[in-house]
Amino acid sequence: MGLYVARRLGQALLVIWLAYTLVFLAVQLLPSDPVTIFLSTDAAADQATVDAMKAQYGYDQPLLVQYFSQLGQLLRGDVGYSLASGQSVATRIGAVAGSTLALASSAFVAAVVLAVALVAAAVLTRSNLLKRLITNLPPLFAAVPVFWLGLVLLQLLSIQLGVMSLFPDGSFASLAVPVLVLALYVSAPMAQVLLKSITHVYEQPFIDVLRAKGASPAWIFYRHALKNAAGPAMTIAGITVGTLLAGSVITETVFARSGLGSVVLQAVTVQDVPLVQGLVLLTASAFVAVNLIVDLLYPLLDPRILKSSAAGSPRALTA
Amino acid sequence: MDTNETRTSPSRAATKRRPLAVLALLSAAALALSACGGSTGGAAAGQSARDGAPVQGGTFVFAEVTPINNFQTQAARFYEKANVLNSVLDRLTYFDAEKGQLVPWIASKFTASEDQTKFTFTIRPGVTFSDGTPLDAAAVQANLDALGKGIESAKIQPNVDFSAYKSSQVIGGDQVEVTLSSPDANFLRATSSVTAGLVSPKTLTLDNAGQSAIAKISGSGPFAFESEKADEEVVLAKRADYAWAPEGAPNQGAAYLDKVVVKYLPEVAHRAGAVQTGQVDLVRGLQPADETTLAGSGNQVLPAKGIDLTSNMAAVRIGNGKLADAKVRQALQLGIDRQSLKDTVLSDSYELAGSILNREAPDFVDLSAELAYNPDKSKSLLEEAGWVPGADGIRAKDGQKLEVTVTSSNNSVVIKPAFELIEQQWREIGVKLVNRAADNTFLATAMKDPNVEFFGTRQFVYGGLGPVFGPATNTQTLNADQQLNALFAAERAATSSAKHKELVSDEQRALVVDQALALVLWDEVQVYGANAKAHVDFTSGTAPIFQGAWKNSK
Repeated sequence: MGLYVARRLGQALLVIWLAYTLVFLAVQLLPSDPVTIFLSTDAAADQATVDAMKAQYGYDQPLLVQYFSQLGQLLRGDVGYSLASGQSVATRIGAVAGSTLALASSAFVAAVVLAVALVAAAVLTRSNLLKRLITNLPPLFAAVPVFWLGLVLLQLLSIQLGVMSLFPDGSFASLAVPVLVLALYVSAPMAQVLLKSITHVYEQPFIDVLRAKGASPAWIFYRHALKNAAGPAMTIAGITVGTLLAGSVITETVFARSGLGSVVLQAVTVQDVPLVQGLVLLTASAFVAVNLIVDLLYPLLDPRILKSSAAGSPRALTA
Repeated sequence: MDTNETRTSPSRAATKRRPLAVLALLSAAALALSACGGSTGGAAAGQSARDGAPVQGGTFVFAEVTPINNFQTQAARFYEKANVLNSVLDRLTYFDAEKGQLVPWIASKFTASEDQTKFTFTIRPGVTFSDGTPLDAAAVQANLDALGKGIESAKIQPNVDFSAYKSSQVIGGDQVEVTLSSPDANFLRATSSVTAGLVSPKTLTLDNAGQSAIAKISGSGPFAFESEKADEEVVLAKRADYAWAPEGAPNQGAAYLDKVVVKYLPEVAHRAGAVQTGQVDLVRGLQPADETTLAGSGNQVLPAKGIDLTSNMAAVRIGNGKLADAKVRQALQLGIDRQSLKDTVLSDSYELAGSILNREAPDFVDLSAELAYNPDKSKSLLEEAGWVPGADGIRAKDGQKLEVTVTSSNNSVVIKPAFELIEQQWREIGVKLVNRAADNTFLATAMKDPNVEFFGTRQFVYGGLGPVFGPATNTQTLNADQQLNALFAAERAATSSAKHKELVSDEQRALVVDQALALVLWDEVQVYGANAKAHVDFTSGTAPIFQGAWKNSK
């Protein structure tokens, strides 16, 4: 187990470092530099000001020097200053990260509950019509654009019916509605994968044995089928961290919420490079961390993983 | 300064607004009537509240377009900043649009030397910043230094409208004398800009992050910062001791409102609804399509004229040579059917541009006759310049097609559809327009790219047209035209208002007609939506004046 954890941890750090390096290189490929872009939004800046500011931020140094000094700062926990707000990147992100965490984690939990509930309903129902109807819901959720659903719900609930605010006012609805919008979208791939793998499990002989032994359909579903089918769905759930952030950008704009999504939007729009770098780093870390957790949970779900972990990705087994 | 023209303007504005107000009143009355079953009491009460004395107290909710987190004063050239800072910071002078001239504010008196290089401001006594520091001559001098020279320790640039600033000194205890390195007839006007807002000397000592944070900026304005939620709202609370409004302001004392809450509503489709449902009292950035609905539902559509700004324009970059010939630019200028712009994508709240300056700006000259739509003339000008139609109808010269690109921010709700229409109009004369308007990501690099031929924009002109079109790095033309710059310098050095007017008129003619470096579209206006209870006026820079605003109690 120790070796397995160490390997996953090492891979996680490698991914973060690669993401950081890629962003650093991508920034160098931009046709302009961050300082000039930043200053040009405030009417005309003279060359002396541009140069002074470049020196201040270290953008006048050779590329390798910039790379290593930024990496060094990073290791000391300093992610630099946001050009557009003058605040440190950590302060800027820290001020709104909580809001996104609340939205994304609630949406994630809601999405998991929704996916499991849908699959349970599809598997346990006796009506064929209902089963087909439920099976078709996840593709529908995936197809409905997040912004459209958000706009329609706000138009209906806030403007027509007046039961919720257009702004995040701390009320239950002002969190629940955006969470629902995001959860529907995120639940779609989870439900689809879970449904597919559970159908596969139901074809296994041990299910027939359980039935013959008189186990109830619910017992079979919750105690046996779900556990055996959970692997692939968990992999998808890990990958949804990216979807969650992308969905947050849209949800936060539509619902006028503060959060990482709106900061990403602003940072990219004004090409606030240090802020973009900080956000990429944070996203990569979150992505890697969640997937690390999934990887570490896998052996608990399926002990066979550890025995063959030397042979590569554990997920290959369940795919 | 000749004020005849501008003096007529407010009444024009009033008549424009009145039908809406009347409509609002009628619907309110109708509602009241139906509610009280025939009693006219409700309607009468509504009327008296509307026309009667301002109501004290209350919280006013204002929805801005996008969140902003850099409130550093010198860079307040965005509405999102200026609309908040206008209530937090006072200025030395105030531009009274009704009179068409500058009036005293924190400077109870101001004078200029004849050669426009020395200016004296007498500072009003008894004014304090919200942190308790007195706003005296020394504080003003510190602010002027920051505006004119920037603040090196905080990496803050000088204000572009103060480029001629040399030094200032306190004289006689309550006066500040400013010396410029070269004449600038626009200097006084520049002191009325929100970007020249006066902050506490303590604020000036903060680092860049501190001076950018609304929570730490201390001004002498009618409101002071109370609280904020990053990217969601800023709450301002009134200063009960405020007693130094600009001369002639309807409210000379503290604000009527207790609080102003600034929220953000990036989604344009919800702005009218936010007002209709009473969730906000005022919203900026109403779409033309929503204006009739909002007015029809008993609410108000309030067009705030951008007298302090240029008209909306496609500023021309001549860097890649396609538009180097003035004839081509003139052809494009005449190839725009402005009336159809107004009829299809704008509304009655918009006035078509007659020059690069707003119709009600001092020294405006009406050039609309020379801008009249004339596609035949456009075609012959393009022929003269050697651009002949190719097989696909697009003109070409030396193997190069007359294909041009426009960039703009997405801050204006009408700029993208406007350029879509211009794209069709220019097709008629054999010019292809690539419409990248309202694409902010493209703008970030296109703003400085001379190969992007047009920049759709409007700019504050507190310092005159010189700072907007003069410097080599100016974002409009990305080019320093020697002839134009000589004209700008002469205008700044004008020693009489008659001479100044004449030179500003020459500048407008050069930019719009002779050189056609600015294809002007419509006068800058910000269309606000307000609910029936709200009473609010706007500055000549389109900022809401919350100090004089109030709400009917019911």
